[in-house]
Formats: sequence, C-alpha cells, structure tokens
Amino acid sequence: MSANHATNGTVKLSEEEIALYDRQIRLWGLEAQTNMRSAKVLLINLGSIGTEITKNIVLSGIGHLNILDNHIVTEEDLGCQFLLGKEDVGKNRLDATKTRIQEFNPRVNLSFDKANIEDMDASYFKKFDLVIGTELNTREAITLNTMTRQLNIPLYLAGSNGLFAYIFVDLIQFDAEDEKLRSIKATEPGKISQNREIISIDERISEDDDKIVYERIKTRNLYKPFQNMLDDATLNGKLTHRQLKRVSNALPLTLASFLSSFDDSSKETFETQTRNMCLKLGLPIETISTQYTEQFIRQRNVEFAPVAAVIGGALAQDVINILGKKQSPLNNFIIFDGITLEMRIFEL
Amino acid sequence: MPRETNIVKIVGEDSYAKLRSTKCLLVGAGGIGSELLKDMILMDFGEIHIVDLDTIDLSNLNRQFLFRQRDIKQPKSTTAVKAVQLFNNSKLVPYQGNIMDANSFPIHWFGEFDLIFNALDNLAARRYVNKISQFLHVPLLESGTSGFDGYIQPIIPGKTECFDCTTKETPKTFPVCTIRSTPSQPIHCIVWAKNFLFNQLFASEPSPEDEVDTKDWGTTDEEEIKRIKQETNELHELQKIIVDQEESRIPDILDKLFIQDINKLLLIENLWKTREKPTPLTKTQLKTIDLADKKLDLNTVWSIEDQLSRFVSITVKLMKRIRTEKVIEFDKDDQDTLEFVATAANIRSNIFNIPLKSVFDIKQIAGNIIPAIATTNAIIAGLSSLVSLRVLNLLKYAPTESPLDLNMAFTAKASNLSQDRYISNPNLAAPNCKCAVCMKVTRGVLSINDMNITLGELIGKLREKYGFPEDISLLDSSEQRLLVDYDFEDLLDRSLKDVNLRNGSVILLTDEEGNEETGMVRKPLELYINVTDDNSIKLTLPPIDVEWIKQISEEDKKMEDEKAKQEEVNEEIIDGEIVILDEEEEEIPKGKKRKLDDEITSENHEMKKSKIDETDDGQIILD
Repeated sequence: MSANHATNGTVKLSEEEIALYDRQIRLWGLEAQTNMRSAKVLLINLGSIGTEITKNIVLSGIGHLNILDNHIVTEEDLGCQFLLGKEDVGKNRLDATKTRIQEFNPRVNLSFDKANIEDMDASYFKKFDLVIGTELNTREAITLNTMTRQLNIPLYLAGSNGLFAYIFVDLIQFDAEDEKLRSIKATEPGKISQNREIISIDERISEDDDKIVYERIKTRNLYKPFQNMLDDATLNGKLTHRQLKRVSNALPLTLASFLSSFDDSSKETFETQTRNMCLKLGLPIETISTQYTEQFIRQRNVEFAPVAAVIGGALAQDVINILGKKQSPLNNFIIFDGITLEMRIFEL
Repeated sequence: MPRETNIVKIVGEDSYAKLRSTKCLLVGAGGIGSELLKDMILMDFGEIHIVDLDTIDLSNLNRQFLFRQRDIKQPKSTTAVKAVQLFNNSKLVPYQGNIMDANSFPIHWFGEFDLIFNALDNLAARRYVNKISQFLHVPLLESGTSGFDGYIQPIIPGKTECFDCTTKETPKTFPVCTIRSTPSQPIHCIVWAKNFLFNQLFASEPSPEDEVDTKDWGTTDEEEIKRIKQETNELHELQKIIVDQEESRIPDILDKLFIQDINKLLLIENLWKTREKPTPLTKTQLKTIDLADKKLDLNTVWSIEDQLSRFVSITVKLMKRIRTEKVIEFDKDDQDTLEFVATAANIRSNIFNIPLKSVFDIKQIAGNIIPAIATTNAIIAGLSSLVSLRVLNLLKYAPTESPLDLNMAFTAKASNLSQDRYISNPNLAAPNCKCAVCMKVTRGVLSINDMNITLGELIGKLREKYGFPEDISLLDSSEQRLLVDYDFEDLLDRSLKDVNLRNGSVILLTDEEGNEETGMVRKPLELYINVTDDNSIKLTLPPIDVEWIKQISEEDKKMEDEKAKQEEVNEEIIDGEIVILDEEEEEIPKGKKRKLDDEITSENHEMKKSKIDETDDGQIILD
C-alpha cells in the first residue's frame, strides 16, 4: 500500500494531503484514499440529511460532488440545518451554502445545479459514478431508480420522519472483499442470505511471528430496485417468530408511508396501510403500538438534526467504502429508530 | 413557521420549554465534541458550556468540521464557539483548560449542570468526570470512537452502570527481555528505540541507572539480566557523545548498538536455542554510510543503507538541538525525534530478521495514533444527543419509566459484531456491585465556609447525620493519608485547615465497628470538600442515605489482600517500566500526568482491592 501504487490515471496524493487525511488513511489506506479522489458523486437535495452527507464526504476528500437542489430556505430549516443562518431565509438553498461547503475542504471539486429533479434526464445522470437521493417522494424515488438501473449507476436513498429514518441501497451488483480472522471452521463458498453469496475465499498469513491466518472473502451482493423491494417486501423465513415480534414499528410504518400519498391520507387510511404492510412482512399486527403510529403521523416530514447525523453518517460511510473499495456495502434497507437507537439492516 | 417547529413536534410544548432551560456541559470539542455541539444547538438546549484543553492541528481537519486551515494552533473550544455562530440559538460558554484542574473547574461549578456530555479522548479524564458525576448525582453521557467503531453509554449515578463498572483496556506491556534481548516483532524494536534508546540519549538527565529488582524481566537467566543492566550503564557513554557534540563519533554509537551489543547477545547461547540468531551490522556497512541528505518517501520502506544514512543525519540534527534544548522528549509530531526512532527501530529489526516499516507506519505505533473519521463521530454524537432526550425524560410519546429502560449503543456492523445490526442497543445494566467507584462507597459533596471547625466537630456531625457508630476511621483519600482512627486521635482538636484539608480534598469515613447483632456495617462514605465563599453556609452535608452493608469476614479480606498484592506488582510494571506506550492525544501535559492521576485516585486501599476481580464483559471500550 504505497503511494506509488496509485490507480492508473490518478495523481499521487501530495504530502500535505497525506498529513491532512492522516487519521483516515491509517484506517482505509492510501489506495482507497486515492480511489475516492477520482469519484464523481451526485447528491439530490440539501436538507438536514443532505447537509450531513455533504459534510462527511467533502471532509473525507472525495473527488467531485455535485449537488442538485431547488429549495428556498425557510425559517423551519434553521432548526435542523447547520449550514444556514437567519439571513438566508428566502434565498435559494444552494446560493446560501455554496461557499460554506467549499470551506469544509478546498481540495474537493464542487458543482451546483439549481434545478428540479423531474426536469433532469438520463443525459444528466450518466455523468456520475454514484447518485444519492434524499427527501424524495415515492414517485421521484421510483423514477430516479429506473434511470440509475438503466445507466448502471449505484443509488442510495435516505429520508426521515421525525425520530425515524431509513436508507435504501441499490448497487445493482457489487462484489466486496473483506478480510477477517479465520475461525476454527473455515468459511465455505455459497449463498449466505437472500441477497448475498460468498464467491471465493483466499487465505493470507500475517508476516510477523504469530503467523495468524486471515481469510479474504469475496462476497457478491445482489440488489433490487426500490419498486420491487416495495412489492416483494417480506420477512417470512428470514427471522424467527421471536425476532419478528421485536422488529421496531418504524419498519412497517416507514414502508407504509411509501405506499400512497402518506401526506394527504387520513389517520385511518394510514393505519390500514400499516396493518396491511405488517401482514405482508409477516409481522404480528398486535406489535404495532398506537403511540408509535400517532407520533409517526405527528412527525410527518419532520427533519431532526441528530437523526440526520446518524443516517447521514451511515450513508456517507457506505459511499466512502464502496468508492474506496473497502468493506462490505449495506444491503438493502436500513431502519433507524431514534427512541430505542435500534438500527437494523433488512434484506427486503 | 418558526425555527423550533420541528423540535416541538418531537418533544411537545412542555418539554420544549424544559429543553430551553436545560444547562449542559460538553467536555471536549474535538471529533465527537464538534458534532455534539452542532446537534445540541439544533436541539435548542438553553445553555452549553464547552471545555477543551487542546489547540487545532492539521490532522484534525478531516473530521472536526468546525475548524479550518486558518484555525490551526487556535484553541478548540473558543474556535468552535465562533464557528457555530451562524446557526447558534443557545447560550454558549467556552473554556480552554484541563477538566481535571479542580481550581479552574471546582465541583460546585460542575454542580450547575443538568447533564454532562463526555466527548473525550483519554481514560484519565473519562474516569475523572465519571467520578464527579457520581459525587454530584448528575447524569453523564459517555461516548467514544476509534476508526469505524464507536459507542455511547448513558450513566445515571446509582441507578445504572458507571464508566468504571467494567474494566477498561490498559496499555500493552512487554517483558524487558523481549525488548532488550529477543525482539520478534516490529513493535518490540520500536519500543526499544523510543522508550529505551531515545530516552537514554536525549530525554534523561545524565545519571546512573537504578534498576528496580521487581521488574518483569521475562527471564530468570542471571547472565542475561546482568548483560541488560551493564548495557544500560554503557549507554551513558553514548549519551556523553551526544552531550559533548562529538559528531565524528556517531559511528561509535552505531558500532556499540548494532555490532558490539549484538555480539554480546550472541554469546548468551541459551537465547538462541529456539530462536533465529541476529546478524550484527558489519564494519564495512558503517564505513560506507552515504552522508548526502537524500529525499525519502515517508510512506515507503527504506533500504538499510538509507536507514543508516538518515540515522546519522538525524542524530547530528538532534545533537545540535540538544545544545539549546538540553532535553528532547519524543513527540510523534516532532519529525526529528520520529525519524530517529524509526531508523533506529528499523536497523534493529533488520538485525533480528524482522520486517522493516515505513515512517508513516512507525508514527502510528510509536505515537499510539488512533484512526478517526467524520462519519463515526457524527453517528455517535447523534446517538448521544438522542438518548439525552430520554435521560431528561423529554420524549412525549416515549416516557422514561426506569433508567434501566434506557439504551446504550455501539456500532455493531462496523465492529464485525453483527451482520444485520448497524447499531446494537442493549438496555443499560444496573451498577456492578463490586465497582469501587459507584457501589463500594456512598458519595456526596460537603459544602463548607468555615475551615476552622475541628476534625472532631466534623466527625460528630457526620456520625449524627448518617448514623455512624463510635468506632470509625477517617482518611484523606485524595492523599491516601490517615486522619483519625481508634488509636490515632491526635488530630481531633485540630481545625480542617490545620490538617491540610482544602477545596477539592476528598475524605472517606469508614465504619470500623458495625452492628454486632446484624453483622452489618455502614457503607463507607466519601465526601468531596467544596469550600465556598458564601458566609451563610457554615457547613452543609449532602442529603443522602448511607446504606447498611454486610461486614467483610477476615477470610474474604485475606483473599482480597492476595489479589491486591498481585495488582501492586502489575502496577509497578506499569509505572516503573520503560516499555509502556503513551496514550495518544493526551489532554494533560506529559510531566503532569502521573501527579494528576494520583490526585484523582480517591479510592482507599480497601476499595482498590475490589477492582481487580472484575472481568471484561465483552463491552467495547475505545478512545
């Protein structure tokens, strides 16, 4: 792992960059840091989650970030976004934050598009290596995902509803390499879950005296489009009865909120949708608490800074991991419950 | 709609008002601290006080998003407060100082806060704030990260596990002979170069070495121990070369370290029966060192020729510096000291057939650098902020029925502990009954204005208030000093001032008599002395109940004594040994560390004993 081994076509990191990124290069290595610098990422919408993602990936030294947003700053935004101040109310969000974002890291190439997502077509999206959509409604999410599938671009989606939030991942197909200590029983190739399969295992022996044996495991991750995930979502056969009873209400509530226009639906309609979602997932209906449903409705579309920090942190780290080609990616639906702090990964 | 619309929808109107009147302390404005400050402001906490000792460094900027290149060398706390002005809506008070300095941060100051957030990077300060929170019964939100790993733990004093209820990892140690005679890994050579060689040549004042006989030699071979002691004495000769600025004799240093000493080692045949023999440098190698200063890449492993050449040029540089500096301490960010240690370690590694390392890699090992990234810090700070709402019981739809319903959390997937949980969130545990910090004693703060009252008077008041019997002992536990017991009553008539008790002193009252019928004794009572200027307060005792506990039998005591002895041996190795690596980014200046540690060690001997039988429960503890 030396600077000389930098991927072809990219420039070696300077000594100053190595000093600046010291604490993270020690974690993921010079090669991953160099790989990140050649990536071009699109972020859609700069809300509270978008701001957190921006901060994290700009600080980490990504090559190019393009932000697409056409919102006007409201007073409410001031309560959940740290790149905005009182004077910015009424301005375009990107105009207000541009220079502040660049200040995080002058080495990152930034570009900004003040436009609406529905006005953008394939010729726009194909310029990017990876797309992150935040604050999208279901229709926008499905349209975007259809496009990223056609263009073969990895997609991340994230959103929050008060104390609850989700991440959806569609990398289409992704082979990840992980290294771990070999346990007594050696790892075997084969399917390990609905979406993941181990395709090869190499051994590496540590160079010091201890001669520790590591396994380099290559795992193939398969993904589904957002629409298919919604259609097929089930936990049947994936979790035991006990585990099913403990799944946070945030999962069926969030999935139900994708179904029809949650914004306009009455409390009763939403409750019915949630119950249907439980049936589909295989979750016992009696586990749905009225308190959770009530606050989920009350906190409809509410952005909350600490929830955004958790979701934006997890999403940004996964983006960094796949761009740097380190660590296994998330697969494919993550739910965060800000009350209990539970954050589970479901293969839906 | 106004700024607070969202937060009101989450906590409700009543809780929002409470949030606005909540006063928090944030200890640390570094990686987690910057993130926490942002979250706390956006949650509309009324008042936030921020303490940090550090100044900003280039290597902070990959994650501490409030700081810029232009802020390097500025204090973190004040710079952070300036940086958040854009979106701030809270009263912010920054301090640049050491949280463990009781003069700057007296206990009554801590007492003003409703909640304390720890965003620290070292064990000593974490333990100190934990203890303060126990004295004051103020909830503490503990957190930490290391690379992809992170955790948060709410601590409700008396109700849930405290920071010291589980054992924490202590720095790794190596036996003397591994370092001095039989290294087998790069780290052994780095420890040798940094803690032994560098210190002997540059850091210590010239003085004869006193070897302590209780060292963990890692061997019983008399011949080898004799050799190690002799070798140390001979190093003083080398130190003279440095002090006398004899540049022409640098090859003598190389000759001594890497030829003569290795040859002596080779004579001890016992050492090489099961190990590969080292190969000393050759005289020819020493004669052909290229003295031209070559540009070398810090991220690649240099050839042995380059190591030797750089060793010589760096030694010359350090020799010149010592003329004015007198003593040079190893510092990972002082490139000269780092390269000296790196080249010396690599030359030794080469001799012992150990793989060489780049300066970049050696910096991490020698400086004990912990990798740190923005994302983990953001996640951990977010979790800590969220749980604070439940600690303060502000969530309308999720009231906190019991502290044991609260959750701690850690990064399960990143730490390879789970495949399907990004974050695991176990419920908090009840305090560990063997914890010396939170369970073996009752703690509180005693406020006093008149330090002229006598020890006898004070004991009388304590006895009366907390129901202690006639036979007690009183210890100044901050200084491990006996004040009163059944056959030492000389100080009873002396005033508190006369017996050197002062603001910040901690006293421990122990029941030496107990209740014969029930076989119970009062739990030891530890009180923090808070001297106040307020004349209206003559003496205020904390409103706490001191429980009855089971008396410890002689047999149990004996067993604990045995264990304590064992611990003392371990401690001596840690304190006196040369092979300890420092903690990274220590908040306390190096020289002071030992002293401060002593000052906050308020456990008396009895309690110290109980610490060692705790076992690790598998919880991850990171910096």
